Order: sequence, then C-alpha cells, then structure tokens
Amino acid sequence: MFGWQNRSKQLLEEIETHIEIETQRNVDAGMPPDQARRAAKQKFGNVLVAMEQARHVWGALWLENLLRDIRYAARSLSAVPGYTATLVCTLTLGLGCVTAMLAIVESVLLQPMNLPHPGQLVQIYSEDETQGFAASPHALSYAAMDALRRDTHSFVGISGYNTMARPVMTVDGARVNVLMEVTPNWFETLGVAAKLGRGIRPDDANAPVAVVNDEFWRDRLHGDPHAIGATLTISGKQWSVVGVLPREFHAPGISGGPVIYLPISVGPSGEDVFKIESAAVIGRLKDGVSMQQARAEAQSVFAHSGHTDAEKHRTLRMRSYSDLVTGNVQRPLWALLGAALVLLVIACANAANLQIGRTASRMPEMTMRSALGASMGRLMQQLVTENVLVSLLGATLGGGLSFLAVAAVRHAYASEYPRFDELSVHPLVLCAACLLATAVGVIASVAPALNVRRATNGRLNQRTATRKSRLSGLLVAIQVALTCVLLVTSGLFVRTLQSLEDVKLGFNPQGVTTLVLMPENPQQDPQLSRAIETQLLHRFENLPGIQSVTVQTELPFSNYNVSLHGTTDVAGRPYQKGDSAYYSFVSTNFVKTSEIQLLKGRGFTQSDETSGAIVVLVNEAFVKMFLSDREPVGATLGFHRDPGDTDADIPLTQPMTVVGVVQNEIQGGDLGASYEPMVYLDYLALPKDSFLSAVFSMSAQYAVRSSLPTAAVTAELRNVVKHNAPAMVEMSLKPMEEAISQSLGQRRLALRLVAGFGIVALILSAVGMYGVLAYSVALRRREIGIRMALGSTRQRAAGLVIRQAGKMVLLGLIPGIAGAWAAGHAVRAFLYGVKALDAETIVVAGAVLLFVSAASAFIPAMRAAQVDPVETLRTE
Amino acid sequence: MQGTLDLLVLQTLATGRAHGHAIACSIERRSEDVLQVGHGSLYPALQRLLKLGLIAAEDGISENNRKARFYRLTAKGRKQLFAEASKWQRFSEAMARILAPIAEENS
Repeated sequence: MFGWQNRSKQLLEEIETHIEIETQRNVDAGMPPDQARRAAKQKFGNVLVAMEQARHVWGALWLENLLRDIRYAARSLSAVPGYTATLVCTLTLGLGCVTAMLAIVESVLLQPMNLPHPGQLVQIYSEDETQGFAASPHALSYAAMDALRRDTHSFVGISGYNTMARPVMTVDGARVNVLMEVTPNWFETLGVAAKLGRGIRPDDANAPVAVVNDEFWRDRLHGDPHAIGATLTISGKQWSVVGVLPREFHAPGISGGPVIYLPISVGPSGEDVFKIESAAVIGRLKDGVSMQQARAEAQSVFAHSGHTDAEKHRTLRMRSYSDLVTGNVQRPLWALLGAALVLLVIACANAANLQIGRTASRMPEMTMRSALGASMGRLMQQLVTENVLVSLLGATLGGGLSFLAVAAVRHAYASEYPRFDELSVHPLVLCAACLLATAVGVIASVAPALNVRRATNGRLNQRTATRKSRLSGLLVAIQVALTCVLLVTSGLFVRTLQSLEDVKLGFNPQGVTTLVLMPENPQQDPQLSRAIETQLLHRFENLPGIQSVTVQTELPFSNYNVSLHGTTDVAGRPYQKGDSAYYSFVSTNFVKTSEIQLLKGRGFTQSDETSGAIVVLVNEAFVKMFLSDREPVGATLGFHRDPGDTDADIPLTQPMTVVGVVQNEIQGGDLGASYEPMVYLDYLALPKDSFLSAVFSMSAQYAVRSSLPTAAVTAELRNVVKHNAPAMVEMSLKPMEEAISQSLGQRRLALRLVAGFGIVALILSAVGMYGVLAYSVALRRREIGIRMALGSTRQRAAGLVIRQAGKMVLLGLIPGIAGAWAAGHAVRAFLYGVKALDAETIVVAGAVLLFVSAASAFIPAMRAAQVDPVETLRTE
Repeated sequence: MQGTLDLLVLQTLATGRAHGHAIACSIERRSEDVLQVGHGSLYPALQRLLKLGLIAAEDGISENNRKARFYRLTAKGRKQLFAEASKWQRFSEAMARILAPIAEENS
C-alpha cells in the first residue's frame, strides 16, 4: 500500500545485491563460497534492523503498523464470529438509534430554514391573550401592526397571517380547505417565490387573487400547468389563482395538506373579510439589527400606539422564525436524543464488558508479545485498533439502520410534524456518528487495556489464579441503572396515556357523532343562518334512530369552536380582576345528548326558550371559583361592565339565572388541560342583531346521540343537510370517540419511541449481564470445582452466580431510581395524572429488570451447577 | 555519529556516482569506526539523504555486470557538502589555533 511494499522490496533487493557483491569479493580473495557468504552477511550486520531503520526514515511507520493492526484485527475477529456478531449488533443498535435521532434533530432543529436569510425572520407576539375576535392566541391587531410598520426602523418588513378552515369551491365542488390569509407583503417578507405564476404582492391589497400550495395544485387543480387563472369561490367571492408555491414551502403551523393563501384587506372597522381584527406577525430584521434591539424598539412603539387600556399594558415578545415553526417539537426531540444517548452508553458498557472477557482470554498472547519486547503502547494500539474497527463497523451498519429509520419516520410523519418532510441523514451527521463510534471504541478499550497492563506488569500467575473483575460488575451496574431510567420513563408515559384515556370526560362520548357546518357564504345573513341551524336541529331530532341532538358552540375536541371568554359579575360578590368564564351556547337537549351529569338543579326545558328570562347552567369549576360559599342554584350573574363601556361592548346585557350545576366537561382538544369555569346558555338567548350573533352564526356545531352504527348516522345527517340546507358546507362529521383517539395520537408516538428505547436497553443489559456472568463462571470453574470437591452442593454453586447477579442489579437499581426520578422531573411537562416519582411505575420497572436479570443469570448459573469437580481436580 | 556518516556519504559521492557497496567500501577505507556496526547502517543513512533530496538514486549495472542501485549527489547535496565541509574546516582550524600554544610550549 502507498508504494511501501515496492520500496521495501527494492531496498531488500539492493541489500541482497550488496551482500552478493561482498560475497563475490570474498570468493575472489580465495574464500570458499559458503564461508564467503557468511562473512559478507556478518559484515553487513542485521538486515532487518537496517530495513526497519530505513522504513523509519520514510516516516508513517505508525500508519504501516496501523494497517498491519487492522489486518490482524480483522483476522482475529473473524476467528471469533459469535463475539464479533454480538459486539457489532450491540454497537449497531446503540449507534443506529443515536444516528437516527441526531439526523432528525439536525434536519428539524439545526438546519437553517429553507428561506433566504432565515436568521433575520422573527415572530412578534404578545404574551397576553388577544382581545376581540382573533384566529390565534398571541396575535397583534391590524392597527398595532400598522403602527409597528410605520414607526419602527429595525425591520425590513412586517407581515401578518391567519390560519383557518373554510369551504372552498372549485370546478369539482365545495370542500373544506385550510385557508391562510396573509398581508400582501407576507411572501416578500419571507422571501418565498412562486414556482408557477407569482406570489401575492404588496399591491394586491384588495385584489381578488389567491396563491395555492403545491398540494392544492396537485389535488384540486389536477396539477394543471395552466392552472393560473382558475377561479376559486371562497366566502361567496371569486378569487383567481395567480400562483402555485414550491413543494418545499410550508407556512408556520402547517406541515401538510392543501392550503390557499389570500391577501388580507382590512376594512375601515379594523376587521378583515373574515371579521378578524388581528393576525400572527412575522417580521424580517434589517441587516445587523439584533432581536433585543428590535424588540425594545417595537415595544416602545407598541406601548404608545395602544388605543385601549388593556393593550397598553401588554408586553411584546419576539422569537426566531425557526422557534415559531418547530417550537412544539423542540423539547420532545432533544429528550429523545437524550434517551438515544443513554442507549449508546449502555451499548458502550456492553462493548467494554465483552472486550474485558475477550482480552482475558487473549492474555497469554499479550504477555507473550510483551515478553518479546512489544511496548505497552504497541499492545494498546492493537487493542484500540481492534475496538475502533468494530465500532466503525457498527457505525456503518447503524448508519444504514438510521437511513431506514429516518426514511420510515419521514414517510409516516412528514405531514404531521413541522419540517419532518425535510428529514434526511446529512453527511455531517454521519461524520458525527463516526467520531462518536471512534470515541466509543477508544473508551470501551480502556478497561481491557488496563487489565492487560496489570497482567503484563504483574507477578500474578495467569493460569491458576481466580480473580473477580470488579470493573465488569460496575459496568453492568451502570447498565442496569441506565436501563432503569429508560424503563421508568417509558413507564411514566404509559401511565400518562392510561390516565388520559381514563380522564373524566364529563360526558359520554359513546354513540355521539359530531357535525360541523358552515355557510358557504360567510356574508350570509346571520338571521338566516340561525334559522337554518334551528330548522336542521329539528330535522335531525326527528330522524329515525336518533335519540337526541344539541347545538353546542364549545364542542369537545372540535377544531371549529368559537369561544366567548367574558369578564363575569356574580350578584352579591364583589368583582375582582380576572373574574371571567367561558360561555357555550347550547340547545334545549344539551344535558340529554351529551349525558353530562347534572349535579344540582335542572337542565334546560322547552319552556325556557320562550320565557324571556335567561337561564344558565354552570359547571363545577365555575361554582368553585364564584359560588363556593353559597347555593349556586338561583344565583344571578351577568357580564361585567367597565366604566365607559356601552351596551354594544357587552355581549348580553340581561342578567342570567343559574338553574343547574353540571359536571366539568373536557374543553377544547387537550385531554390533559385543566377545567375552566364554563357557563352554558341557550343559543336562542343570543340577541338577534348583536355582533355575537354574527360571530356564532359563522358555524353550526351539532352533537347527535344515536344507537345506530356510525355509517348509518352519518348517511342520514348528510342526506338531511343536502336536501334542507344546500347552502351549508360540511366541515367535519365524525364520531366523538375518533376525535378523542386522535387527540391521544401525538402522545402515543412519544410513548412508542421511548418504550422502544426502553426495550432495546433491556435487551442490551440482559446481553451484558449474561456475558459478564458467563465469563465469570468460565473464570471460576476451578474455584467452583474445588468448592464442590470440598462438599459444596450444586445449588450453592448456582447460588454463587445468582448472588453475583443480584449484587450487580442492586448496585445499579439504587442510582437507577435516583436517575429515573431526575428523568421524570425533566419530562414532567409531558406527563399527566402521574407524578415524576411514581412508586408504582418504579416498582414495576424494578420487577421487570429483576426478572430479566434472573433470566439472563439462569444459564450461567446452570453452567456453574454442572461443573464437574473430578474434572477440575484432574487438571490440577 | 550520524552527521559524520552523512558527510562521508556525500563526500564519497562528490567524485561521481556509486552503488551502496562501493560507498560502504570507500567509507570503510577512510574511517574504520563509522561503519563498525556493519555495512547495513549505511542504508538508513542513504534513505535519509534521499528524503532530504541531497542525493538521488538510479538503477544501473555494476562493474561485475549486476543490476544495482546507483547514488549521485544532487545540486542541493553538493551545496550541503560544501557548507558542512567548510564548517568542519573552520572547526578544525579553531581547534588547531587553541592547541597550538601548548605544542609550542612543549617543544
């Protein structure tokens, strides 16, 4: 290699020639030939030393040694295929998991966003809840955005967007679609160019133009290259498609699915076409402006521009665009990478243990080489070379494994999590994995190297001494500890999922189907919408097989909830800041349909609709907050009126009387969320011409209880809507139970991954423990034989091994439980219904560990019990 | 002495090209001590000089019709030899001056 062999050969030939010339001379001088040659050789001296020294002059002798070591290592490893396979599998698993997680973290969190100068993009948001009708929390009003645009100097551009779902008509008919309304400079600010046609431009403010993403173009416009100019009907208006976005671009918060972008045009009232007054804001910083500077400037402008008192006290925050996009997955991904690294440490301990065993069996070879003059460094180099070779083999296979894993994750979750469609294993990650593998190889060879050192220095008689290796026991203890951490953590996730599945829903989801309708034209007269809503309600109620139906504006697990969060006064209780409750508008059969438990008083009755007085139900959380010290039924409440508020600012001016108390019911889509105070009132009580009526008539949500199979119910409902309300578009129609399981989906994924790591860790530790015990039994055969010859029983011999295993496990369990507590504490944000230190989980994890340890100690123990004392004594 | 051996090799080659055996014999004639450990120690020195670019090697045929490797001085080697030689010259002149008075006193 590298011409050394040729050079060595040449030099050897040259030396040969030298000796021959000398021999010839000696012969010429009269010596007999063989004597002549001997004399010539003697005169030349040691050929090998000359060669070695000459090679030393060439340099890179170490490299040559290394290559020789590699060849030697490959040969000696292939002589012990079982050992090599175990070691390579262990490292492949460890390095594969780490490489895959590293690749995911790198592609999702570390790779810069696929936009020009992504570092300059920031989200500007407000910590406090947005006032008025908003599409997203943390949004800023259009007025505030204008002020920021006008009075700040830190930004190249400030743009806003809102995400919603609306019925969209194409030539193929109406379908619900994700809609992004964006300020006309949004694409310019982000730096996104259309792949067909053009993006929305700053001069498009009032133009009926739309830009669609690649998926919409493929799905709904059939990938037609001449789709530019196609017409879409949204909200009763015609929009003409002017551009198609490239496939790689995803708006923040959207990972997949068809999306339409429309320009926002803000009317004189400060509302856009969808009656939204605010938007999420993205700004692009000027070159050289830091986020702190920009935030300080924006804050001062914001504080002076607020027209309401509440707005003045709000604080602006800023975060990078990549945080906005990946914010939700950052912590879980880092946590999973941590779990994968723990796995790698376990694998590394395994490798070290396997090597300790193997080195022990090679000790005669090592002592021989040492006696022949190999330096300690040379022996070390041999060991490290072998280990690194195996590690790199593991890294290569692990890299292959990670390619498969990453491809599988991308395939399965590309449209569910942000940036998962960009997942790939980059060369940088592979380099990191190789470095890691080399480090693992070096670290894993430290322990055996120390053993070799002791053996070659020491006066110990190898063949007969029985020596327990304390180090491998310690390594197993570390493995047990780390496995315990992973097992307990996955146990906590299992418990979380269980508690979420058992969460008190407050209502009975079985047999409930939910239906969400939206007028195709949102400009439709709210009164007409209301009339249709009521008419449909009665039609549904009269369908065969339908038990009861209710309207519900706050439907659990619905994505189309419209919430009214109002400051609330309760008669006889002084108003305090922060006294507020959620209001849900329902119909008469609400209690009957949802089977929500009525704790006190009564539900709504038919007569409430016409009585004129407004009666309400409140939930337990409401009672706890407002009426804890008195009888809730009969209490009166109303919307709080700040000084200066007119009737128009108050949703309902009439007082409301509590007639019943219901159980807390899940609110929104998060099973783990806490219960907020909630007031239920009849939707017919909404004043006809108020803005609330307009807002709440933008969608109609029904819950339908029936004993019929889902397919039959959905068919019936669809049929009624089609015939009686053709102007309404179905946004969602699904069984409640499906919605619940979807809400558990994300946690299930995390559980699967962590549990997978836990199981791999368990397997690795079992293999590690088995290896150590088997090796230890092999070493102690002599001792056990003598013990038996002296009267020990087979049971005691087996007990010896079991005791050793028990010691290692107990030594690992104690720090393991401490570590599990710390890990539980670290992931407590993802837990629900279980504490970071959960005794039951720890006991179960400990029991599993003990069981697996016992199983892996079984074979070595049997082997110890079968030691034949006669055989031992004979070899003595 | 490594430096001495190198210098001797360079000096031997100053008169023309030579193969390993010839160089060894020439050095042996001039200095008994340097190749005491055997002709073999010449070869690492030759490799060192090759690497430094002071000499060059080429294949040729020896006087008794054997294929052999011949070494010759490069321009750089010639310069090096001159520099080394004059350094030794100066050194020995200085030594001579230092030792001269003693010689005079004794006489």
